[in-house]
Amino acid sequence: MAITKTEIEKLARLAKLSFSDEELERFTAEFDEIIAFADTINQSIEGGTEQIRSVGARMVSFDDLRSDEVVPSLPNEKILSNVEGYNGFFSVERSKK
Amino acid sequence: MRAGIAELAEKLRNREISAVELTKVYIKAIEELNPTLNAYVHLTFDTALKAAEQADQMLKEGDAPPLCGIPMALKDNICTDGLPTTCCSKILKGFKPYYDATVWEKLKKQGAVLLGKTNMDEFAMGSTSETSCYGAPLNPRNTDYVTGGSSGGSAAAVCANLAVYSLGSDTGGSIRQPASFCGVVGLKPTYGAVSRYGLIAYGSSLDQIGPLTNSVKDAAIVFDAIKGGDKRDQTSVDYDYGAPLAECLDRDVKGMRIGVAEEFFDGINPEIKSKIEEALNLFEKNGAKIENIRFPALKIALPVYYIIACAEASSNLGRYDGIRYGYRTSSYTSIDDMIVKTRSEGFGDEVKRRIMLGTYVLSSGYYDAYYKKACLIREEINREFDAVFEKCDVLVAPTAPNTAFPLNYRGASPVEMYLSDICTVPVNIAGVPAISIPCGADAKGLPIGMQIIGKRFDEATVLQAAHFYEQCAGEVIGAYEGGARV
Repeated sequence: MAITKTEIEKLARLAKLSFSDEELERFTAEFDEIIAFADTINQSIEGGTEQIRSVGARMVSFDDLRSDEVVPSLPNEKILSNVEGYNGFFSVERSKK
Repeated sequence: MRAGIAELAEKLRNREISAVELTKVYIKAIEELNPTLNAYVHLTFDTALKAAEQADQMLKEGDAPPLCGIPMALKDNICTDGLPTTCCSKILKGFKPYYDATVWEKLKKQGAVLLGKTNMDEFAMGSTSETSCYGAPLNPRNTDYVTGGSSGGSAAAVCANLAVYSLGSDTGGSIRQPASFCGVVGLKPTYGAVSRYGLIAYGSSLDQIGPLTNSVKDAAIVFDAIKGGDKRDQTSVDYDYGAPLAECLDRDVKGMRIGVAEEFFDGINPEIKSKIEEALNLFEKNGAKIENIRFPALKIALPVYYIIACAEASSNLGRYDGIRYGYRTSSYTSIDDMIVKTRSEGFGDEVKRRIMLGTYVLSSGYYDAYYKKACLIREEINREFDAVFEKCDVLVAPTAPNTAFPLNYRGASPVEMYLSDICTVPVNIAGVPAISIPCGADAKGLPIGMQIIGKRFDEATVLQAAHFYEQCAGEVIGAYEGGARV
């Protein structure tokens, strides 16, 4: 199944990414090969109907979950230390030229 | 053989050398070699020297833990409070976390001395470390070749004696494959054995932190120090391993059942195949029983891995929006435009490819055909691993189908590069432990790695078999001549 540029653009919108025309050209060609690779699972053995469990679920008993305790959170000034905050909030200008 | 952790700890305890002196030896070596090798992307010498002073104090007071005063390195995706942690991505440039990963918290308490953060593929997505925004690290064995990836800097630093040990992370082989390419030891523990709290997520059901070292004993010492359950990682398990594994390594292989699956050897470079066969002969000569087994699901492990890993990545990397940390684009017309531009300018091509694949396999209309199907086949692979370990104690396989690639190799498409992960990804899918140890070199002198895979939480047998091979086979690849010497 050949993937089209329009489909790639739609997927990019879902993924919050954008591509230039040149990138779109290249990504579409590469993506075709990647999807063909992913498709090989559909020619493979059947996985059966057993319930899907994650690897984590194999290890963790749901009777063994930690109790829901309130613990101190990180201080505001630390959380904001990586950006320019505004009055204790994250800030983004509506637009910036 | 160079000094291991136990020998260095002994010297530190006997005051033959102080932790500050030892740290300075490593700092000097890094200053000399890192401009070429690019193993480290952030150097933390000031905090290292302060930590070394504190370690000296702990050593003076007596009863210091084995890793006290030992200089080490962390992969750039393990959070360190107040020190840069960027996943080698433009989108996280300048990011300084405000908390420590559990592994680093544990090591810090034991007096570890952090020399810096090591180079890696951007967000751990790659097999050569060339997708790093800081440029690729070079393989110390031959600088025309890659280190492997994604924990390439961690492997190079240990190989070139720029750290006694390092931590890496392994989602589909990212500890074992660079260990193989650089000729060092790399352990991927059982999923859940080590807390992932503070490891910047790629594929959360596959990621695991583990050590890269110059010997199996060192790997056991570091694993002993970082393992254990953690309330902040609900998938971690407080498994009772009994005595420290580093104290239980001496065991012969008489009666050990070693499984060999031909599926692991399909399309493998013949030089690698022959070195693994030599190793199997050595095991057999010493009383191990070699069992030929079948593992049909292995053939489809690769697409299963890429579907699951990319699906999880597309969700995990949704948090990079330019609002709370990291890079933000300089000009935009709306918040949505800011997020799209930030992500498009901040992520590299390989990360975008994987986010796109993940978005595709989770999108309406494709979810059942890809993601759900991959999860079902994952169950099948798990069942096959369970069946294999009823007949065998460990599995032996190559770590990679090839030795290190030349730098800037342009002959392979993204999918051809994905195929090179064939030997390592099944281990992550099943969450079992595996180690890569050097077992020789190819005609060009590039290291070859052998993988020993075990049952969940049976790191003991994996380490014992690896240690036995290491002791019995002797020096299969010469030690790197440069770097720190003590």
